[in-house]
Amino acid sequence: MTDPAEPARRDAAPEAARPRAGGSPTPGLANPMAADIAAQAGATPAWTDFSWLVIQLARCIREGEVTFSGVNSSLAMLACLLAQRAYPFRFTYINVAGGVDPHPARAPVSSSDPSLFEGSPAIFANADFYDLCLRGGMDLCFLGCAQIDATGRTNVSLIGSPEAPRVRLPGGGGAVVMLPTARRVVTWRIEHSSRSLVERLDFVTAAGRMATLVTPLAVFERDPDLPGARFALARLRPGVELDAVRARTGFAFSADGLQAAEPPTAAERETLAILDPDGRFAADLVR
Amino acid sequence: MTLVSGLRAAAQGVPFMPIAGVFGSDLARTNGWRTVRDPYGDTEVYAIPAVRPDVAVIHAAEVDALGNARVFGTPFWDHPLTRAARRVLVTAERLVPTGHLARQPELTLVPHFMVEAVAIVDHGAWPGSCHPLYGVDYPALQAWMDDSPGALARHLEAAPEREAHD
Repeated sequence: MTDPAEPARRDAAPEAARPRAGGSPTPGLANPMAADIAAQAGATPAWTDFSWLVIQLARCIREGEVTFSGVNSSLAMLACLLAQRAYPFRFTYINVAGGVDPHPARAPVSSSDPSLFEGSPAIFANADFYDLCLRGGMDLCFLGCAQIDATGRTNVSLIGSPEAPRVRLPGGGGAVVMLPTARRVVTWRIEHSSRSLVERLDFVTAAGRMATLVTPLAVFERDPDLPGARFALARLRPGVELDAVRARTGFAFSADGLQAAEPPTAAERETLAILDPDGRFAADLVR
Repeated sequence: MTLVSGLRAAAQGVPFMPIAGVFGSDLARTNGWRTVRDPYGDTEVYAIPAVRPDVAVIHAAEVDALGNARVFGTPFWDHPLTRAARRVLVTAERLVPTGHLARQPELTLVPHFMVEAVAIVDHGAWPGSCHPLYGVDYPALQAWMDDSPGALARHLEAAPEREAHD
């Protein structure tokens, strides 16, 4: 790590939930596990882990919706900033810094940086955006996770047993009330492993209306209107084998609805390059 | 957010605050949260017990000699926190005349009668930000993550207040 960065910038993953793949990360490759899979399968160079994650998250954003990104959510923040610029529709982007449709000159290191209300015509602070979600006014909420299970329940509290945790995590912020009340929740992991995609969570921080999980290898979807519905594989990153994803996923899933992933568009690629001009965000995934 | 519900209960002088969500979370068990039934209907909601802090300390951009405090940008949780606490202490970037605040009274987050004491602490939010005066000091935050021996002393040595005290 050479760039200074906010401590909370890393995805909320405890070491215990991170992959223990052999070898050290290779510069330019987002993480060793994905790189191994990509190499074995001869993956197409259209995507990097970084571009796949941000663009798949951005594609969850829909016209006219109220969309939110919170703390420790750089990839979700980038997805919202990308969608503002690359997609031919309007939506409302609110964030934990209090911004409403902000237009920061550049994407800040932290997803709670005050520049996220630059150009904002209003401050819609914590009490307001939580209340909005709780009363059913939040269409899409990006919420992080350390562990996630097949029904989209998340753990951001601890690893180990609740009585004697091995690792204490930062906690859910508002997840315990936002996951059940947002109309749709989207989450992500920067690695794809059976340590974080689990059959059984060490602790259930929040449960509710999870719709989409994006990893460097795949996109899973479930119907948030069906309590207990399980994730199904929706898209595979080109070049990634289904068996490899099954081997690295701690829960069983259906692949019946699997569809081909659309390649990144020129607008998506160009906007992402503008948002990360010196590759700092992409490099951060390597750590 | 459940914490804020507790603060809101305290601010409003009631023993608990109903809140949406929470169902399905282990946090209800570990925190001992219980549900109540809507007395006007059948809905069951979680009730978060009141949280009444003894002291709230907030950092403001401007304060006058009486304790009227202004916060620019997002107030995060300053509002419920200062209303819930028994005592409120304010640190601020700079002292301004009361007349300056009176020109735009809607910008004052905490009126003086709720504030027990103020201190002027230039760059007091460091290594965090104080909008619009300065942004986040990311290198300092990174250094703050260091947990090796002497790290706290090095952090305090680097703090802006240090210069003022020397």
